Amino acid sequence: MTANPQPIQATPAPRGGGKLAVERDKPATLLLFLGPAVVLLLVFLVYPVIYTLRMSVDRGLGGNFSRFVGLDNYASLLRTPSFVHSIENNVLWIIFYVTFVIILGLIIAVIAMRVSYEAIIKAIVFLPMAIAATALGVIWAFVYAYDSNIGLLNALLAAINVGPIAWLGDSSIANSALIAVGVWGSTGFATVILSAALKGIPTEIIEAARTDGANEFQIFWRIILPMVSLPISVLAVTLIVNVIKLFDIPYVMTNGGPGDSTRVIAFELYKQDLSAGQYGKAAAVAVVMLVILIPVMIFNIRRFRSEAVV
Amino acid sequence: MAGPRRVLTLIAGAALFVSACGGAASPSPSSGGAASAPASAGESTGASAPAASSGVPAGTKITVTSLWGGSEQEAFQKVLDAFKAKTGIEATYQAQRTDYATVLQNKIQGGNPPDVAIMPGLGFLRQFAASGGIKKISDLGIDTTALESNYPPGLLDPGKVNGELYGLMVKFNSKSTFWYAPSKVSTPPKTWDDLKSTLDSLGGQPLAVGAKDSWTLTDWFEEIYLRQNGADAYKKLFSKDGDWTDGTAAKAIQTMLEVVNDKYVTGGIKGALNTAFTDAIGQIYGKNAKSSLFYEGGFVGGIATGQINKDLKIPSDIDWFDFPSLGGAGDGAAEIGGDEIAALTTNPGVKEFIQFMTDPESGTTWAKTGAIISPIKAVGQDAYPNDLAKKEAAQVAGASAVVYDGSDTLPAGAPDMGAMLQKAIQGQDPTGLLKDFNDGVKSAWESES
Repeated sequence: MTANPQPIQATPAPRGGGKLAVERDKPATLLLFLGPAVVLLLVFLVYPVIYTLRMSVDRGLGGNFSRFVGLDNYASLLRTPSFVHSIENNVLWIIFYVTFVIILGLIIAVIAMRVSYEAIIKAIVFLPMAIAATALGVIWAFVYAYDSNIGLLNALLAAINVGPIAWLGDSSIANSALIAVGVWGSTGFATVILSAALKGIPTEIIEAARTDGANEFQIFWRIILPMVSLPISVLAVTLIVNVIKLFDIPYVMTNGGPGDSTRVIAFELYKQDLSAGQYGKAAAVAVVMLVILIPVMIFNIRRFRSEAVV
Repeated sequence: MAGPRRVLTLIAGAALFVSACGGAASPSPSSGGAASAPASAGESTGASAPAASSGVPAGTKITVTSLWGGSEQEAFQKVLDAFKAKTGIEATYQAQRTDYATVLQNKIQGGNPPDVAIMPGLGFLRQFAASGGIKKISDLGIDTTALESNYPPGLLDPGKVNGELYGLMVKFNSKSTFWYAPSKVSTPPKTWDDLKSTLDSLGGQPLAVGAKDSWTLTDWFEEIYLRQNGADAYKKLFSKDGDWTDGTAAKAIQTMLEVVNDKYVTGGIKGALNTAFTDAIGQIYGKNAKSSLFYEGGFVGGIATGQINKDLKIPSDIDWFDFPSLGGAGDGAAEIGGDEIAALTTNPGVKEFIQFMTDPESGTTWAKTGAIISPIKAVGQDAYPNDLAKKEAAQVAGASAVVYDGSDTLPAGAPDMGAMLQKAIQGQDPTGLLKDFNDGVKSAWESES
């Protein structure tokens, strides 16, 4: 695998078969190849998006289009302090979760490459990925429990006569505590992706750098990091999308509390609007999420177009 | 060897297939229940045979949904069994433990609602009534004026939407019960000042609060507000005309903070915010109990003796006193939290079931399990199996006024009242919090209509 690092082109040139090239332009062939995908997109993407847009300007009583209300739903969202707070929390998640997952993933991947028991390390780090996020939340709710007879962290602190600390009961640290859980759950994913990318770097380049007298730090900063920058940006986009969709960890661990200190957008959508039967407002939140995601997706598609995928 | 093994596999596969089909068929929706009398019921006369009292074909099936599981579900199953014994109609219970209203809403929208739902929270009752998801009790052919006399005055009011009866209260618990450990607290406090001096003399942090479940804080607030301002002001606060900024709500929060603070609460405020409701019960009634006092509703008794610590003796280890008086207009009043039964279809058997649930027979059967307090007047004191439940029924029966849990009557789209109180106990200014809350509640009331 490492022997041939040649990148796969985004648009592979058709090999031979001039006949195929001619048939490609026939409408029937186009329909045959594009039809199923277009139908699926229309049914499962375009229609729901239009429906949601329409619902977001409606009262939405009982989940039906009951009364057109213009932009009232959006205006009322902006007047809802917990919604504004949930966006702030999502921004904190994006900054800290994405950064820590990538940095930790990269560190573990780089270090693991240099030891003989790499597979074991990666298996251990990857293990949390196999746990459902709700189970993750339940496990960590126990770890963070205030009672040192239940909570692992407070039991450890009690052993050195510190605490107990209300990890999830203190508004100023609860969101950070949840981000730490998210980082724990996703670092394995980043490790595996980045580890594969690192292995794609030709050994000759690194050997040549060593021969030229570069030390390991220079190799990392000048060679490895630039060469895995595309996987990192793809990873960052994936993680950001994860954060915008994030719901399970706050729902299971804190139910958004204390106060609204751990609410995130998707939680707000569910708790404040959808489960309150406010379908119009819920749709408005969904549209806000979509709008936040669009630039991220455009960035991602541009990168895919401009560079080859590793 | 391969031959016989393959045959066995085939047989096993066929058996699985058949049983899978059978399994899928049995909980089939009830809408066609009247026409298809199940063979298992053994009714030789078929679908046309009427049951003794109801006039509905025997073997009719209906589905009933609520959010109880465990011991609560077992208790309710006894009521369903009694209903079947009386009418021949089989009511199947479907539990929906979490996100009850959301799932129910989706079932209504999907055109496949259960026949009967027993729901907490009046906001949802009003919402479902407005969207046509639930039927009027009178649409079932039940005489609603005749029902009134079965209940204490005003008890059916929470089930009314715009004057029409949509829901009937089938069970409730008092929320005016303040729990204590009799071994540590010799004289239960009667007034708010008594409570504070008891907390002082106990020392340490003797008051357990499970503030991670923020609804426990709404109950604290409601009890205090009710006692300070009386039942009428309380009802007004939780209605369309409620004003959260007139100072009375802020005063109730300030009063609450006199005891719900770092000095008295087990683990301090932050510790309490990290403690769930059931864990707080463990703090007072568990094996390593640290706390001596705990406020929550009458259902604490069942959870403490049934789940937390089965060795608890009533009343030497666990007991409660009336929520302390505050010298206001509402001393002596009681707050209750209850569940309303509502019909989502008019299928055969639904009327009979609703009727049965208003009958003292169902109330007595249910009360005997110890799981609930029945709102039906004719259910006597001796129906309750233990002293805690007897006392709870007597407290509500003897109250100067009975009000319904206020946070359960707010519109479903209102801001989270519990979250607001979680901020208040952390030291945020109640006046500012209440202003935001008031704005949110107002617009939620407006958007409900």
